Amino acid sequence: MRQFLSSILLPCLSLAALAPSTALGTSTSDYHEQLVLRPLPLSSLLASFNFRSNTTLSAFEAHNFQLFPRSLGQILQHAGTRELHLRFNLGRWDAESWGARPWDGAREGGTGVELWAWLDAETDEEADQKWLILTNALSGLFCASLNFIDGTRTTRPAMSFQPEGDHRNSTAANTHLLYGVLPHEVVCTENLTPFLKLLPCKGKAGIASLLDGHKLFDASWQSMAIDVRPVCPTQGECVLEIEQTIDMVLDIERSKRPRGNPIPRPPPSYELNCDKSKPYSADDTCFPADYAASQEWSLQTVFGKVMKGTCPLTDPSVLPVCLQVPESRTVFISNGAVEKKDPNMEQRCFEVPAEADFEMILPRPEGQQELKSQEEMQAQDLIKPETPLLYAERSFTGHGQERGGVQTILKNPSPDTEVEFIYMESLPWFMRIYTHTIEARIDGHPGKHNSLIQQVYYRPAVDRARGTQLELRMRVPPSSTVFLTYDFEKSILRYTEYPPDANRGFDVAAAVITILNPNNTDGKFAAYNLRTTSLLLNLPTPDFSMPYNVIIFTSTAIALAFGGMFNILVRRFVAADEGPQFNIAGLKSKLKAKFGKVAQKLDKGAVPNKVPDEKSDGARVVSGDSEKK
Amino acid sequence: MSERRSIDNGATSTELSSPLPAPAVEAPTRKEPPPEKPSDIRRRSYIILSFWLIVLLLGLPIWWKTTTIYRANLPLNEMLDWADGKACRPVFPLRISIQADALQEQEAQTLLRLTQHALDDLNDFAGHHLRLQLSPPAQGDSREYDHDTALIIRLKPGGSTTANLDPYLPVLDITYPPNTIPSATSSSSSLATYVASQLRSTFAEEQAIISYLLSNNSIPSDYRPAGLTPEAAESLSKRTTRSLKYAPTYHLSFSLFTSGPIPTSWDIEAAIDEYMKPVLDVLSPIHNFTIDTQVQLYATPGVQNQVLNKEDLSSFVNAAEWPLSPSIGGAPTINFIVFVGNQTIAVPGENKVATSPSWLIPQWGTIYLLSLPYDTTHVSAQTLKQPLLTFTSHLLSLTGTPQSGSLPLRLSTLARIRSADLLLRASSTLGSLARLALALPSISIPSSVADGVSKTMHHLRLACDTLGGPEGLAHARIAEAEAERAFFEKSMVGQLYFPDEHKLAVYIPLLGPVGVPLVMGLLNEIRAWRKRRREKAEKGAAKKKE
Repeated sequence: MRQFLSSILLPCLSLAALAPSTALGTSTSDYHEQLVLRPLPLSSLLASFNFRSNTTLSAFEAHNFQLFPRSLGQILQHAGTRELHLRFNLGRWDAESWGARPWDGAREGGTGVELWAWLDAETDEEADQKWLILTNALSGLFCASLNFIDGTRTTRPAMSFQPEGDHRNSTAANTHLLYGVLPHEVVCTENLTPFLKLLPCKGKAGIASLLDGHKLFDASWQSMAIDVRPVCPTQGECVLEIEQTIDMVLDIERSKRPRGNPIPRPPPSYELNCDKSKPYSADDTCFPADYAASQEWSLQTVFGKVMKGTCPLTDPSVLPVCLQVPESRTVFISNGAVEKKDPNMEQRCFEVPAEADFEMILPRPEGQQELKSQEEMQAQDLIKPETPLLYAERSFTGHGQERGGVQTILKNPSPDTEVEFIYMESLPWFMRIYTHTIEARIDGHPGKHNSLIQQVYYRPAVDRARGTQLELRMRVPPSSTVFLTYDFEKSILRYTEYPPDANRGFDVAAAVITILNPNNTDGKFAAYNLRTTSLLLNLPTPDFSMPYNVIIFTSTAIALAFGGMFNILVRRFVAADEGPQFNIAGLKSKLKAKFGKVAQKLDKGAVPNKVPDEKSDGARVVSGDSEKK
Repeated sequence: MSERRSIDNGATSTELSSPLPAPAVEAPTRKEPPPEKPSDIRRRSYIILSFWLIVLLLGLPIWWKTTTIYRANLPLNEMLDWADGKACRPVFPLRISIQADALQEQEAQTLLRLTQHALDDLNDFAGHHLRLQLSPPAQGDSREYDHDTALIIRLKPGGSTTANLDPYLPVLDITYPPNTIPSATSSSSSLATYVASQLRSTFAEEQAIISYLLSNNSIPSDYRPAGLTPEAAESLSKRTTRSLKYAPTYHLSFSLFTSGPIPTSWDIEAAIDEYMKPVLDVLSPIHNFTIDTQVQLYATPGVQNQVLNKEDLSSFVNAAEWPLSPSIGGAPTINFIVFVGNQTIAVPGENKVATSPSWLIPQWGTIYLLSLPYDTTHVSAQTLKQPLLTFTSHLLSLTGTPQSGSLPLRLSTLARIRSADLLLRASSTLGSLARLALALPSISIPSSVADGVSKTMHHLRLACDTLGGPEGLAHARIAEAEAERAFFEKSMVGQLYFPDEHKLAVYIPLLGPVGVPLVMGLLNEIRAWRKRRREKAEKGAAKKKE
């Protein structure tokens, strides 16, 4: 009882002094957001949304959430997660025409959902357990099937990933990296809603107010990323940083379709964009011009709404909206906004009034002449896309239901620099690869060039328990194309392991290519990341009425064998004329007598029947042993 | 008929008299097979016998073994007894010690006896029993309070008869004028009656709650107290629905919601430490608490009227948009929400605005409407004082703490109510499990369920024996957890469904073609055997005649 007393009294006395010191201070730089718009060739527009907020590790550990979302924070604490990377991806990045990927590919994943995290655990088993908690909790939070990331879809990459955050050396020893991927997952609006809920300003103010499920998932390519990592500045307290990124490539033409009437219809002839340089071009003939970059667009037409002011929490020194177009192009912005040109980069940013709506219109460039070549026009209207360090393409080879092959074409566009990278595949267990068939060839040079593969990390699959993990450290010489191929065998699944749409095929996750930073400059491990497309593997699919057929078939076989054997054992064999008599006439008369009896019964009812016994012959058909001694 | 026919068969075919011409014509051409050797006949019998033995001794057991559903043995009757309240008669013996330092030993004994009498006369509820005892004279103030004693009565001489409950200790101070001391021989005393009535009123609420709990369960009526008015029952039922299910740990989630961009920060940590922590510490023997806090901007409420009516309150929480996900882990979450806004609550009936702009959502938490100046960006701990005091009082009612009496008494009452509640809950879970096992004959019952049930019953027995004490609560807690685990066993939930058509479709193709030759073989063999026996008998008879 006295303990009660003291516990009541003590805090009351001491708190008056403590109260000011424990106040939660917020500096404005704990949150910032930015939207970068960049028109791409072929009338596309890349929109990169970036939101970043910090919380001090002490506040995080005391469960005081302010800018950091509580729902995610709780999950991270519960699952002992040090660093988390979650990716939702849809579509294909067209590197040939769009060039290098945004953020050097660091903020995107393969098609579907990708998750990798560094977990705090003493043993592998503990890590697996925490991973299970993490995937299940995230699955609930993001309305995605992340809970299907089980042992068969989880790998522990050895070379491909390095933590992005600052981890203390003491804790680094006990962190486990786990990587899971769900290529089959279809990313949709229900994943965007929880994503927006994590933002401090929700979707209500700032650049997030432009995000709309209809437009986002109508994009040619889109990627949503969440990265959580601890960051320790050189001075001051360590913070936990959450970075949320959305990148999308919108087709301007398609975005401009009216929302109420989204069905595409043929435009009237005067609206057609024709290539007039063709000799047959006339009023009634039109060759479509494939270059349509110089479309007029505005935020309203592209995103379906205008931007609603700025988020009041955001760092005022980071301008919320930036546009990357050549300096020569004019941009109209709404009243109150201020344009600021960046002299070094070909980008201009806009200061947006806090409470007013913001609209931006990029008109058709002036002086667009039909006589100019398309390349010239493109150079005038757009910033030339950067060439990526590597192009990669992966496809299936071979035919039939038993074997197949995978071929990856890796092309180094650079004329003088060699590219060194790590190629990682996490394959399902039912795709059994033959490691001896892994080989590299250089286009134009006959023969194998296996020296290009410098290091192989291979963890074979275990049926129904884990998938294959293959990591290759390899290089591609300057301006050459390398073919990386290997063969595999398709295994037959158990009846219940087939999904309902088994004939669609099984998704094989994208290969992860991490291009190494040659000199490890600015502390970054990877210079560039890219993913190939995911593949659809056709497995031999059974007829699904099979079990019942099997039951019937085996039953019939058993019955045949058993009946024959049993009868041979039990019956007595006699000569044909010695056996019991059987003839049609006898049967007929017998039946007649039977029916007659029934008819008699029906007619006379109560008349007692005294039918002579005629069955004497037939009764002996079955009895092989009814012989008199 | 068949008897006659078999006799006919027994006669040689040549003697057969057929009424039809056709077989009569052919009959003479037929030969008889040569007689079979007795060893062949015996061998055939052995073959058929061995087939049947294999089927019956090997096939049937294997089939039985592979297709039966495992059902562990559950003590169904005992479980139902627990659920019906036959196994345990909940009795809460409360020890109350009387300190009467100013009285003679003899006088004190008399007073004790009389008070106990008066108490027993007043008490109509056998389950809730107050037992008085005399404690030795105090050695100054530094007395160790025994945790087994529910209440201490300090009798002091004074000017008039007064009673005063100590706010921090489970002590009832009673003063009495010296002339009211009963003599050793008196059979009644006004002081004794007064003490008894004071005690009774102190424990009236606890008694009412416990009797309400018991009456809501299927405890036989003879254990139940009679006197519970409908109004009292109604208010108790309101309170019980309001309070959360018992859990050893509760998660408290404090949220600051605002419909606009400000305020963006609050001094919640300091405010909790100052205004709420003391109560949490006091509750710590019964519950543990974990805490988290969050700030959410641009949170639109579900109702945006300026004046909130009673109906609006239930839809005020915008569950679709507000990130109020419950905490992960086993602990239930209690939500405390401070909503920054100048909305007011209309009290039904009167045209007045409620004094406290807050309301409690049963089993969920509390919402407090905090009106702040327009440009406040930071909410200070001082501003949070009123909300947090409201939250604290609501927390007590959400955990089911009784409303009257001093805090230590309320808490010890809470422990007793909780143990009774858990005991009844575990018993009724056992009953549901037993009824489920009876109702679904095809449900499998793994041995872990049987283990859980036996553990539950063991702890229930212990809890029942030590009801009212701290061990009682601990045992009831374990019993309840085990009962829940047994009831929600995963492998029991996934019950396989095999309709009869399905079974028929699987068995018929196999059993039909195999069974027919087996059965026919057996029938023929039996027929032949009977024939042989009869022939033997006839032969014997014929020999005798000769």
